[in-house]
Amino acid sequence: MALLFAFLPFFPVPFCTRFYCPALVEPSWMNRSFTILMLYLAMSWFSAPALKAQLHCGNVELTPNTPVQALFSFDEFRDYQGGLILSNVATLRVNIQDLAIPDPQCSWSLSVLIDNNPSSGTPAAEWEELSPYGFGAGNNPTLDILEMRVRNNCQTSPLNGTFMSFTNHGDILDIIESALPVTPAGSCTTNVNGVGSYLTNPGEYTFNLDLRITPGFVFDPGIYMITLRFNLEENP
Amino acid sequence: MKRILLTLVAAATLFALPASAQLIDEKDVTVTMDLQPVLQLEMSTPNQIEFVFDNINEYYAGITQYAATILKVSSTVSWDLYAVGRSNGTNGPEFWDQVIDYGNSNINAIPDLPLSLLELRQAQANNGATAAAATATFADYNQAFSQAAVPSAGNSLYVNGGTNTPPGVDGKYIAGHSGTTAPGADAMPGGSYLINGGTASDFYYAVDYRILPGLPAVFPMAADADGATFEDLVTVNGAGSYAEPGVYTMYVQYVLLEDQ
Repeated sequence: MALLFAFLPFFPVPFCTRFYCPALVEPSWMNRSFTILMLYLAMSWFSAPALKAQLHCGNVELTPNTPVQALFSFDEFRDYQGGLILSNVATLRVNIQDLAIPDPQCSWSLSVLIDNNPSSGTPAAEWEELSPYGFGAGNNPTLDILEMRVRNNCQTSPLNGTFMSFTNHGDILDIIESALPVTPAGSCTTNVNGVGSYLTNPGEYTFNLDLRITPGFVFDPGIYMITLRFNLEENP
Repeated sequence: MKRILLTLVAAATLFALPASAQLIDEKDVTVTMDLQPVLQLEMSTPNQIEFVFDNINEYYAGITQYAATILKVSSTVSWDLYAVGRSNGTNGPEFWDQVIDYGNSNINAIPDLPLSLLELRQAQANNGATAAAATATFADYNQAFSQAAVPSAGNSLYVNGGTNTPPGVDGKYIAGHSGTTAPGADAMPGGSYLINGGTASDFYYAVDYRILPGLPAVFPMAADADGATFEDLVTVNGAGSYAEPGVYTMYVQYVLLEDQ
Protein backbone atom coordinates (compact mmCIF):
# COMPACT_ATOMS: atom_id res chain seq x y z
CA MET A 1 0.00 0.00 0.00
CA ALA A 2 2.88 2.28 0.80
CA LEU A 3 4.11 1.74 -2.71
CA LEU A 4 0.74 2.80 -4.08
CA PHE A 5 0.81 6.06 -2.19
CA ALA A 6 4.40 6.65 -3.13
CA PHE A 7 3.30 6.36 -6.70
CA LEU A 8 0.46 8.84 -6.43
CA PRO A 9 2.45 12.06 -6.82
CA PHE A 10 3.21 11.08 -10.39
CA PHE A 11 -0.49 10.96 -11.20
CA PRO A 12 -2.11 13.63 -9.10
CA VAL A 13 -4.75 14.79 -11.53
CA PRO A 14 -6.98 11.71 -11.77
CA PHE A 15 -7.30 11.36 -8.03
CA CYS A 16 -7.90 15.03 -7.69
CA THR A 17 -10.47 14.85 -10.46
CA ARG A 18 -12.31 11.86 -9.07
CA PHE A 19 -12.49 12.63 -5.39
CA TYR A 20 -11.40 16.15 -4.60
CA CYS A 21 -12.06 18.37 -7.62
CA PRO A 22 -15.59 17.70 -8.78
CA ALA A 23 -15.72 21.12 -10.35
CA LEU A 24 -13.34 20.08 -13.11
CA VAL A 25 -15.07 19.12 -16.29
CA GLU A 26 -13.98 15.74 -17.61
CA PRO A 27 -15.93 13.00 -19.37
CA SER A 28 -17.10 10.21 -17.07
CA TRP A 29 -15.36 7.47 -19.12
CA MET A 30 -12.07 9.14 -18.40
CA ASN A 31 -12.65 8.95 -14.68
CA ARG A 32 -13.35 5.29 -14.90
CA SER A 33 -10.29 4.72 -17.05
CA PHE A 34 -8.00 6.46 -14.63
CA THR A 35 -9.42 4.48 -11.78
CA ILE A 36 -8.82 1.23 -13.66
CA LEU A 37 -5.35 2.39 -14.52
CA MET A 38 -4.58 3.14 -10.91
CA LEU A 39 -5.85 -0.26 -9.81
CA TYR A 40 -3.77 -1.91 -12.51
CA LEU A 41 -0.66 -0.08 -11.45
CA ALA A 42 -1.30 -0.94 -7.83
CA MET A 43 -1.66 -4.62 -8.66
CA SER A 44 1.49 -4.51 -10.76
CA TRP A 45 3.45 -3.00 -7.95
CA PHE A 46 2.10 -5.39 -5.38
CA SER A 47 2.87 -8.38 -7.56
CA ALA A 48 6.38 -7.24 -8.38
CA PRO A 49 7.79 -7.71 -4.88
CA ALA A 50 6.57 -11.32 -4.95
CA LEU A 51 8.85 -12.01 -7.90
CA LYS A 52 11.67 -10.02 -6.46
CA ALA A 53 11.47 -12.11 -3.28
CA GLN A 54 13.16 -15.02 -5.10
CA LEU A 55 16.37 -13.10 -5.30
CA HIS A 56 18.36 -13.74 -2.17
CA CYS A 57 21.84 -14.10 -3.62
CA GLY A 58 24.07 -11.69 -5.42
CA ASN A 59 25.46 -14.21 -7.88
CA VAL A 60 25.55 -17.96 -8.47
CA GLU A 61 28.26 -19.32 -10.69
CA LEU A 62 29.20 -22.81 -11.82
CA THR A 63 32.63 -23.24 -13.37
CA PRO A 64 33.97 -26.48 -14.82
CA ASN A 65 37.73 -26.85 -14.84
CA THR A 66 37.81 -27.09 -18.63
CA PRO A 67 35.33 -27.47 -21.48
CA VAL A 68 34.45 -31.07 -20.89
CA GLN A 69 34.26 -33.74 -23.57
CA ALA A 70 34.52 -37.24 -22.17
CA LEU A 71 35.35 -39.98 -24.66
CA PHE A 72 34.84 -43.64 -23.86
CA SER A 73 36.47 -45.93 -26.40
CA PHE A 74 35.66 -49.62 -26.17
CA ASP A 75 38.03 -51.73 -28.24
CA GLU A 76 38.85 -54.57 -25.84
CA PHE A 77 36.60 -57.36 -24.76
CA ARG A 78 37.42 -56.79 -21.11
CA ASP A 79 36.26 -53.19 -21.40
CA TYR A 80 32.87 -54.30 -22.64
CA GLN A 81 32.57 -56.81 -19.83
CA GLY A 82 34.09 -54.90 -16.96
CA GLY A 83 33.23 -51.38 -18.01
CA LEU A 84 35.36 -48.28 -18.18
CA ILE A 85 35.62 -45.56 -15.56
CA LEU A 86 36.77 -42.06 -16.34
CA SER A 87 37.64 -40.44 -13.05
CA ASN A 88 37.63 -36.68 -12.61
CA VAL A 89 35.99 -36.12 -15.96
CA ALA A 90 35.09 -32.69 -14.70
CA THR A 91 35.56 -30.60 -11.62
CA LEU A 92 32.57 -28.38 -10.96
CA ARG A 93 33.29 -25.30 -8.90
CA VAL A 94 30.48 -23.45 -7.20
CA ASN A 95 30.64 -19.80 -6.26
CA ILE A 96 27.72 -18.18 -4.41
CA GLN A 97 27.94 -14.52 -3.60
CA ASP A 98 25.74 -12.59 -1.25
CA LEU A 99 23.85 -9.42 -1.98
CA ALA A 100 25.32 -6.09 -0.94
CA ILE A 101 23.03 -6.36 2.05
CA PRO A 102 23.38 -10.05 2.93
CA ASP A 103 20.22 -12.07 2.87
CA PRO A 104 20.30 -15.06 5.25
CA GLN A 105 17.95 -16.93 2.93
CA CYS A 106 20.49 -17.11 0.14
CA SER A 107 20.86 -20.79 -0.70
CA TRP A 108 21.21 -22.90 -3.82
CA SER A 109 20.64 -26.27 -5.40
CA LEU A 110 22.66 -28.27 -7.91
CA SER A 111 21.19 -30.86 -10.23
CA VAL A 112 22.13 -32.70 -13.40
CA LEU A 113 19.87 -33.49 -16.33
CA ILE A 114 20.58 -35.98 -19.10
CA ASP A 115 19.96 -34.90 -22.67
CA ASN A 116 20.04 -37.32 -25.62
CA ASN A 117 18.94 -34.79 -28.23
CA PRO A 118 15.47 -36.17 -28.92
CA SER A 119 14.98 -33.68 -31.74
CA SER A 120 17.22 -35.91 -33.87
CA GLY A 121 14.77 -38.77 -33.43
CA THR A 122 16.55 -40.49 -30.55
CA PRO A 123 14.20 -42.69 -28.49
CA ALA A 124 13.84 -41.47 -24.93
CA ALA A 125 15.79 -44.29 -23.34
CA GLU A 126 18.70 -44.49 -25.79
CA TRP A 127 21.92 -42.70 -26.61
CA GLU A 128 21.98 -40.44 -29.63
CA GLU A 129 23.50 -42.35 -32.53
CA LEU A 130 26.20 -40.45 -34.40
CA SER A 131 27.61 -43.22 -36.57
CA PRO A 132 26.75 -46.94 -36.59
CA TYR A 133 29.27 -49.70 -37.30
CA GLY A 134 28.12 -52.80 -39.18
CA PHE A 135 24.85 -54.55 -38.44
CA GLY A 136 24.95 -55.05 -34.69
CA ALA A 137 22.27 -56.77 -32.71
CA GLY A 138 19.60 -54.23 -33.60
CA ASN A 139 19.79 -52.35 -30.33
CA ASN A 140 21.32 -48.98 -29.65
CA PRO A 141 22.75 -48.53 -26.16
CA THR A 142 20.36 -47.44 -23.45
CA LEU A 143 20.99 -44.52 -21.14
CA ASP A 144 21.14 -46.69 -18.04
CA ILE A 145 24.57 -48.06 -18.96
CA LEU A 146 26.00 -44.66 -18.05
CA GLU A 147 26.62 -44.13 -14.37
CA MET A 148 27.65 -40.89 -12.74
CA ARG A 149 29.28 -40.27 -9.39
CA VAL A 150 29.95 -36.95 -7.67
CA ARG A 151 32.14 -36.51 -4.67
CA ASN A 152 33.90 -33.86 -2.64
CA ASN A 153 35.94 -33.83 0.51
CA CYS A 154 33.07 -32.98 2.84
CA GLN A 155 30.66 -35.39 1.14
CA THR A 156 28.09 -32.64 0.97
CA SER A 157 25.88 -34.41 -1.57
CA PRO A 158 23.64 -37.23 -0.32
CA LEU A 159 24.72 -39.03 -3.51
CA ASN A 160 28.38 -38.62 -2.69
CA GLY A 161 30.47 -41.56 -3.83
CA THR A 162 27.55 -43.53 -5.25
CA PHE A 163 27.24 -44.35 -8.92
CA MET A 164 23.80 -43.29 -10.12
CA SER A 165 22.20 -43.91 -13.50
CA PHE A 166 19.55 -42.38 -15.72
CA THR A 167 16.69 -44.05 -17.53
CA ASN A 168 15.20 -41.53 -19.93
CA HIS A 169 15.98 -38.24 -21.57
CA GLY A 170 15.23 -35.43 -19.12
CA ASP A 171 15.82 -37.45 -15.99
CA ILE A 172 17.24 -35.32 -13.21
CA LEU A 173 19.50 -36.23 -10.33
CA ASP A 174 19.72 -33.81 -7.43
CA ILE A 175 23.25 -33.35 -6.20
CA ILE A 176 22.14 -30.74 -3.67
CA GLU A 177 18.38 -30.63 -3.45
CA SER A 178 16.35 -27.45 -3.57
CA ALA A 179 14.10 -26.17 -0.79
CA LEU A 180 16.38 -27.37 1.95
CA PRO A 181 17.15 -25.35 5.08
CA VAL A 182 20.22 -23.23 4.71
CA THR A 183 23.37 -25.04 5.79
CA PRO A 184 26.17 -22.51 5.92
CA ALA A 185 29.61 -22.87 4.45
CA GLY A 186 32.21 -24.29 6.76
CA SER A 187 29.86 -26.90 8.23
CA CYS A 188 31.54 -29.63 6.20
CA THR A 189 28.40 -31.72 6.39
CA THR A 190 25.62 -32.91 4.11
CA ASN A 191 23.72 -30.41 1.97
CA VAL A 192 25.88 -27.34 2.48
CA ASN A 193 24.00 -24.76 0.44
CA GLY A 194 24.74 -21.33 1.84
CA VAL A 195 26.85 -18.49 0.59
CA GLY A 196 30.37 -19.60 -0.14
CA SER A 197 32.94 -20.34 -2.77
CA TYR A 198 35.22 -23.07 -3.98
CA LEU A 199 38.05 -20.62 -3.29
CA THR A 200 37.38 -20.45 0.45
CA ASN A 201 35.65 -23.81 1.03
CA PRO A 202 36.89 -26.17 -1.66
CA GLY A 203 35.76 -29.25 0.23
CA GLU A 204 32.14 -28.12 0.06
CA TYR A 205 31.91 -26.09 -3.12
CA THR A 206 33.88 -28.31 -5.43
CA PHE A 207 32.38 -31.43 -6.99
CA ASN A 208 34.45 -34.02 -8.81
CA LEU A 209 32.63 -35.99 -11.45
CA ASP A 210 33.36 -39.65 -12.33
CA LEU A 211 31.64 -41.53 -15.12
CA ARG A 212 31.36 -45.26 -15.72
CA ILE A 213 29.96 -47.15 -18.71
CA THR A 214 29.46 -50.91 -18.85
CA PRO A 215 28.07 -51.76 -22.29
CA GLY A 216 27.88 -55.55 -22.15
CA PHE A 217 27.36 -57.38 -25.43
CA VAL A 218 23.83 -56.59 -26.50
CA PHE A 219 24.25 -53.21 -28.15
CA ASP A 220 25.14 -52.18 -31.68
CA PRO A 221 28.68 -50.97 -32.24
CA GLY A 222 28.93 -47.35 -33.25
CA ILE A 223 29.57 -43.86 -31.95
CA TYR A 224 27.02 -42.42 -29.55
CA MET A 225 26.65 -39.25 -27.53
CA ILE A 226 24.72 -37.74 -24.65
CA THR A 227 25.03 -34.50 -22.71
CA LEU A 228 24.91 -33.99 -18.97
CA ARG A 229 23.57 -30.56 -18.07
CA PHE A 230 24.56 -29.32 -14.64
CA ASN A 231 22.23 -26.71 -13.28
CA LEU A 232 23.12 -24.44 -10.38
CA GLU A 233 20.11 -22.53 -9.18
CA GLU A 234 19.29 -20.10 -6.43
CA ASN A 235 16.60 -21.41 -4.13
CA PRO A 236 13.39 -19.34 -4.19
CA MET B 1 -6.72 10.86 -24.34
CA LYS B 2 -7.23 7.19 -24.96
CA ARG B 3 -3.83 7.07 -26.60
CA ILE B 4 -2.29 8.59 -23.50
CA LEU B 5 -4.00 6.04 -21.33
CA LEU B 6 -2.78 3.16 -23.45
CA THR B 7 0.71 4.56 -23.34
CA LEU B 8 0.55 4.77 -19.59
CA VAL B 9 -0.70 1.20 -19.32
CA ALA B 10 2.12 -0.06 -21.54
CA ALA B 11 4.69 1.90 -19.58
CA ALA B 12 3.34 0.57 -16.31
CA THR B 13 3.49 -2.97 -17.63
CA LEU B 14 7.09 -2.63 -18.70
CA PHE B 15 7.93 -1.01 -15.42
CA ALA B 16 6.32 -3.62 -13.23
CA LEU B 17 7.06 -6.95 -14.92
CA PRO B 18 10.85 -7.07 -15.22
CA ALA B 19 11.25 -8.23 -11.68
CA SER B 20 14.58 -9.93 -11.03
CA ALA B 21 14.51 -13.65 -11.86
CA GLN B 22 16.09 -16.53 -10.03
CA LEU B 23 19.83 -16.80 -10.52
CA ILE B 24 20.80 -19.86 -12.55
CA ASP B 25 24.02 -21.09 -14.07
CA GLU B 26 24.42 -24.14 -16.28
CA LYS B 27 27.44 -26.06 -17.52
CA ASP B 28 27.47 -29.12 -19.75
CA VAL B 29 29.53 -32.26 -19.99
CA THR B 30 29.36 -34.07 -23.31
CA VAL B 31 29.91 -37.82 -23.20
CA THR B 32 30.86 -39.66 -26.37
CA MET B 33 30.98 -43.43 -26.49
CA ASP B 34 32.80 -45.32 -29.22
CA LEU B 35 31.68 -48.94 -29.25
CA GLN B 36 34.06 -50.75 -31.57
CA PRO B 37 33.05 -54.27 -32.57
CA VAL B 38 35.30 -56.91 -31.03
CA LEU B 39 35.30 -60.48 -32.33
CA GLN B 40 37.94 -62.81 -30.92
CA LEU B 41 38.38 -66.41 -31.98
CA GLU B 42 40.93 -68.31 -29.95
CA MET B 43 41.96 -71.62 -31.39
CA SER B 44 44.16 -74.30 -29.87
CA THR B 45 45.15 -77.00 -32.30
CA PRO B 46 48.22 -78.84 -33.50
CA ASN B 47 49.98 -77.04 -36.31
CA GLN B 48 49.56 -80.11 -38.48
CA ILE B 49 46.93 -82.82 -38.07
CA GLU B 50 48.15 -85.95 -39.77
CA PHE B 51 46.12 -88.89 -40.97
CA VAL B 52 48.39 -91.76 -42.00
CA PHE B 53 46.63 -94.71 -43.58
CA ASP B 54 49.01 -97.63 -43.46
CA ASN B 55 46.72 -100.29 -42.12
CA ILE B 56 43.75 -101.93 -43.77
CA ASN B 57 41.55 -101.32 -40.74
CA GLU B 58 42.22 -97.63 -40.99
CA TYR B 59 40.90 -97.64 -44.53
CA TYR B 60 37.81 -99.50 -43.43
CA ALA B 61 37.01 -97.65 -40.23
CA GLY B 62 38.73 -94.37 -40.88
CA ILE B 63 40.87 -92.37 -38.51
CA THR B 64 39.34 -89.95 -36.01
CA GLN B 65 41.21 -87.19 -34.21
CA TYR B 66 39.14 -86.32 -31.19
CA ALA B 67 39.00 -82.72 -29.96
CA ALA B 68 41.91 -81.87 -32.17
CA THR B 69 40.77 -78.28 -32.36
CA ILE B 70 39.29 -76.16 -29.59
CA LEU B 71 37.47 -72.99 -30.60
CA LYS B 72 36.76 -70.26 -28.05
CA VAL B 73 34.67 -67.25 -28.97
CA SER B 74 34.36 -63.78 -27.46
CA SER B 75 32.24 -61.26 -29.28
CA THR B 76 30.57 -57.97 -28.50
CA VAL B 77 28.13 -58.34 -31.37
CA SER B 78 25.86 -61.08 -32.66
CA TRP B 79 27.99 -63.55 -34.58
CA ASP B 80 28.24 -66.59 -36.82
CA LEU B 81 31.01 -69.19 -36.95
CA TYR B 82 31.66 -71.56 -39.79
CA ALA B 83 34.39 -73.79 -41.20
CA VAL B 84 35.39 -73.94 -44.83
CA GLY B 85 37.74 -76.34 -46.61
CA ARG B 86 40.48 -74.77 -48.72
CA SER B 87 43.68 -75.70 -50.50
CA ASN B 88 46.34 -74.13 -52.65
CA GLY B 89 44.43 -75.21 -55.73
CA THR B 90 47.18 -77.44 -57.16
CA ASN B 91 44.60 -80.00 -58.21
CA GLY B 92 41.74 -77.52 -58.48
CA PRO B 93 40.00 -75.18 -56.08
CA GLU B 94 37.86 -77.87 -54.44
CA PHE B 95 40.50 -80.61 -54.23
CA TRP B 96 43.30 -81.54 -51.89
CA ASP B 97 46.79 -80.56 -53.03
CA GLN B 98 48.69 -83.67 -54.04
CA VAL B 99 52.18 -83.20 -52.62
CA ILE B 100 53.63 -86.62 -53.46
CA ASP B 101 52.40 -89.20 -55.93
CA TYR B 102 53.33 -92.78 -55.02
CA GLY B 103 53.87 -93.73 -58.63
CA ASN B 104 50.60 -95.21 -59.68
CA SER B 105 49.71 -94.53 -63.32
CA ASN B 106 46.46 -96.41 -63.44
CA ILE B 107 43.81 -94.29 -65.08
CA ASN B 108 41.34 -95.20 -62.36
CA ALA B 109 43.66 -93.88 -59.66
CA ILE B 110 42.19 -90.43 -59.06
CA PRO B 111 44.50 -87.70 -57.65
CA ASP B 112 41.66 -85.16 -57.29
CA LEU B 113 40.35 -85.84 -53.82
CA PRO B 114 37.43 -83.57 -52.79
CA LEU B 115 38.01 -81.30 -49.82
CA SER B 116 34.63 -82.36 -48.52
CA LEU B 117 35.92 -85.83 -47.68
CA LEU B 118 37.08 -84.43 -44.37
CA GLU B 119 34.43 -84.81 -41.68
CA LEU B 120 33.96 -82.57 -38.67
CA ARG B 121 32.00 -83.09 -35.52
CA GLN B 122 31.38 -80.30 -33.06
CA ALA B 123 30.74 -81.28 -29.45
CA GLN B 124 28.33 -78.43 -28.73
CA ALA B 125 25.22 -78.18 -30.90
CA ASN B 126 24.52 -75.06 -32.88
CA ASN B 127 21.93 -73.27 -30.76
CA GLY B 128 21.74 -70.31 -33.07
CA ALA B 129 20.10 -71.92 -36.09
CA THR B 130 16.48 -72.67 -35.29
CA ALA B 131 15.35 -70.85 -38.43
CA ALA B 132 17.86 -72.78 -40.55
CA ALA B 133 16.64 -76.12 -39.24
CA ALA B 134 13.73 -75.88 -41.65
CA THR B 135 15.81 -75.12 -44.73
CA ALA B 136 19.09 -76.97 -44.28
CA THR B 137 19.47 -80.73 -44.41
CA PHE B 138 22.23 -80.38 -41.85
CA ALA B 139 22.46 -77.02 -40.05
CA ASP B 140 25.67 -77.92 -38.18
CA TYR B 141 28.29 -80.63 -37.59
CA ASN B 142 26.83 -81.91 -34.35
CA GLN B 143 25.55 -85.29 -35.55
CA ALA B 144 27.60 -88.36 -34.70
CA PHE B 145 29.98 -89.76 -37.31
CA SER B 146 28.02 -92.29 -39.29
CA GLN B 147 28.97 -95.92 -39.60
CA ALA B 148 31.31 -96.77 -42.44
CA ALA B 149 28.65 -98.77 -44.24
CA VAL B 150 26.08 -95.94 -44.06
CA PRO B 151 27.29 -92.93 -46.06
CA SER B 152 26.12 -89.63 -44.64
CA ALA B 153 26.70 -86.03 -45.59
CA GLY B 154 26.00 -84.83 -42.07
CA ASN B 155 29.63 -84.16 -41.17
CA SER B 156 31.08 -83.42 -44.58
CA LEU B 157 33.17 -80.23 -44.56
CA TYR B 158 31.67 -77.18 -46.28
CA VAL B 159 33.54 -76.14 -49.43
CA ASN B 160 32.76 -73.28 -51.77
CA GLY B 161 34.95 -73.24 -54.85
CA GLY B 162 38.15 -72.60 -52.93
CA THR B 163 36.84 -69.40 -51.37
CA ASN B 164 35.87 -68.61 -47.81
CA THR B 165 32.42 -67.34 -48.76
CA PRO B 166 29.93 -68.10 -45.96
CA PRO B 167 27.52 -71.00 -46.42
CA GLY B 168 24.00 -70.24 -47.59
CA VAL B 169 20.74 -71.12 -45.91
CA ASP B 170 21.21 -74.79 -46.80
CA GLY B 171 24.79 -75.03 -45.52
CA LYS B 172 26.42 -75.97 -42.24
CA TYR B 173 27.50 -73.50 -39.58
CA ILE B 174 29.21 -74.30 -36.31
CA ALA B 175 27.24 -71.50 -34.67
CA GLY B 176 24.61 -69.13 -36.02
CA HIS B 177 23.48 -69.31 -39.60
CA SER B 178 22.81 -67.36 -42.76
CA GLY B 179 20.43 -64.43 -42.21
CA THR B 180 19.94 -61.67 -39.68
CA THR B 181 16.59 -62.53 -38.18
CA ALA B 182 17.54 -62.72 -34.52
CA PRO B 183 19.95 -64.35 -32.07
CA GLY B 184 18.85 -67.92 -31.71
CA ALA B 185 17.15 -68.04 -35.08
CA ASP B 186 20.22 -67.48 -37.22
CA ALA B 187 22.79 -65.84 -34.97
CA MET B 188 24.52 -66.21 -31.66
CA PRO B 189 24.25 -63.37 -29.15
CA GLY B 190 27.33 -61.50 -27.99
CA GLY B 191 29.24 -62.93 -25.06
CA SER B 192 32.31 -64.91 -24.16
CA TYR B 193 33.38 -68.36 -23.05
CA LEU B 194 34.97 -66.55 -20.11
CA ILE B 195 31.67 -65.51 -18.56
CA ASN B 196 28.95 -67.53 -20.25
CA GLY B 197 29.43 -71.04 -18.96
CA GLY B 198 32.89 -71.97 -20.14
CA THR B 199 33.28 -75.32 -21.88
CA ALA B 200 29.55 -76.07 -21.74
CA SER B 201 28.56 -72.81 -23.35
CA ASP B 202 27.76 -71.75 -26.89
CA PHE B 203 31.11 -69.99 -26.99
CA TYR B 204 33.27 -73.10 -26.74
CA TYR B 205 33.52 -75.84 -29.35
CA ALA B 206 35.67 -78.96 -29.44
CA VAL B 207 35.99 -80.23 -32.99
CA ASP B 208 36.72 -83.84 -33.98
CA TYR B 209 38.07 -84.76 -37.41
CA ARG B 210 37.56 -87.96 -39.30
CA ILE B 211 38.71 -89.25 -42.67
CA LEU B 212 37.17 -92.49 -43.84
CA PRO B 213 38.61 -93.68 -47.17
CA GLY B 214 36.71 -96.96 -47.37
CA LEU B 215 37.78 -99.87 -49.47
CA PRO B 216 38.31 -99.22 -52.22
CA ALA B 217 39.36 -95.72 -51.16
CA VAL B 218 36.51 -93.66 -52.60
CA PHE B 219 35.72 -91.51 -49.55
CA PRO B 220 31.99 -92.27 -49.31
CA MET B 221 31.23 -89.42 -46.88
CA ALA B 222 32.26 -86.64 -49.25
CA ALA B 223 29.28 -84.49 -50.18
CA ASP B 224 28.50 -81.01 -51.43
CA ALA B 225 27.61 -78.03 -49.28
CA ASP B 226 23.89 -78.67 -48.98
CA GLY B 227 24.38 -82.35 -48.17
CA ALA B 228 22.17 -83.41 -51.04
CA THR B 229 24.78 -84.69 -53.53
CA PHE B 230 27.63 -87.03 -52.72
CA GLU B 231 31.08 -86.31 -54.12
CA ASP B 232 32.74 -89.66 -53.54
CA LEU B 233 35.15 -90.73 -56.25
CA VAL B 234 32.79 -93.25 -57.82
CA THR B 235 29.91 -90.81 -58.06
CA VAL B 236 32.11 -88.14 -59.60
CA ASN B 237 34.54 -90.23 -61.69
CA GLY B 238 32.65 -93.41 -62.40
CA ALA B 239 32.78 -96.99 -61.30
CA GLY B 240 36.20 -98.44 -60.64
CA SER B 241 37.71 -95.18 -59.48
CA TYR B 242 39.81 -95.03 -56.36
CA ALA B 243 42.15 -92.59 -54.68
CA GLU B 244 45.68 -92.45 -55.95
CA PRO B 245 48.13 -93.22 -53.14
CA GLY B 246 50.21 -90.27 -52.15
CA VAL B 247 50.57 -87.40 -49.75
CA TYR B 248 47.85 -84.77 -49.77
CA THR B 249 47.34 -81.55 -47.87
CA MET B 250 44.57 -79.05 -47.32
CA TYR B 251 43.50 -76.69 -44.56
CA VAL B 252 40.37 -75.80 -42.66
CA GLN B 253 39.61 -72.15 -42.21
CA TYR B 254 37.43 -71.11 -39.27
CA VAL B 255 35.67 -67.82 -39.78
CA LEU B 256 34.07 -65.80 -37.00
CA LEU B 257 32.07 -62.87 -38.30
CA GLU B 258 29.34 -60.51 -37.27
CA ASP B 259 25.91 -61.98 -37.93
CA GLN B 260 25.18 -61.76 -41.65
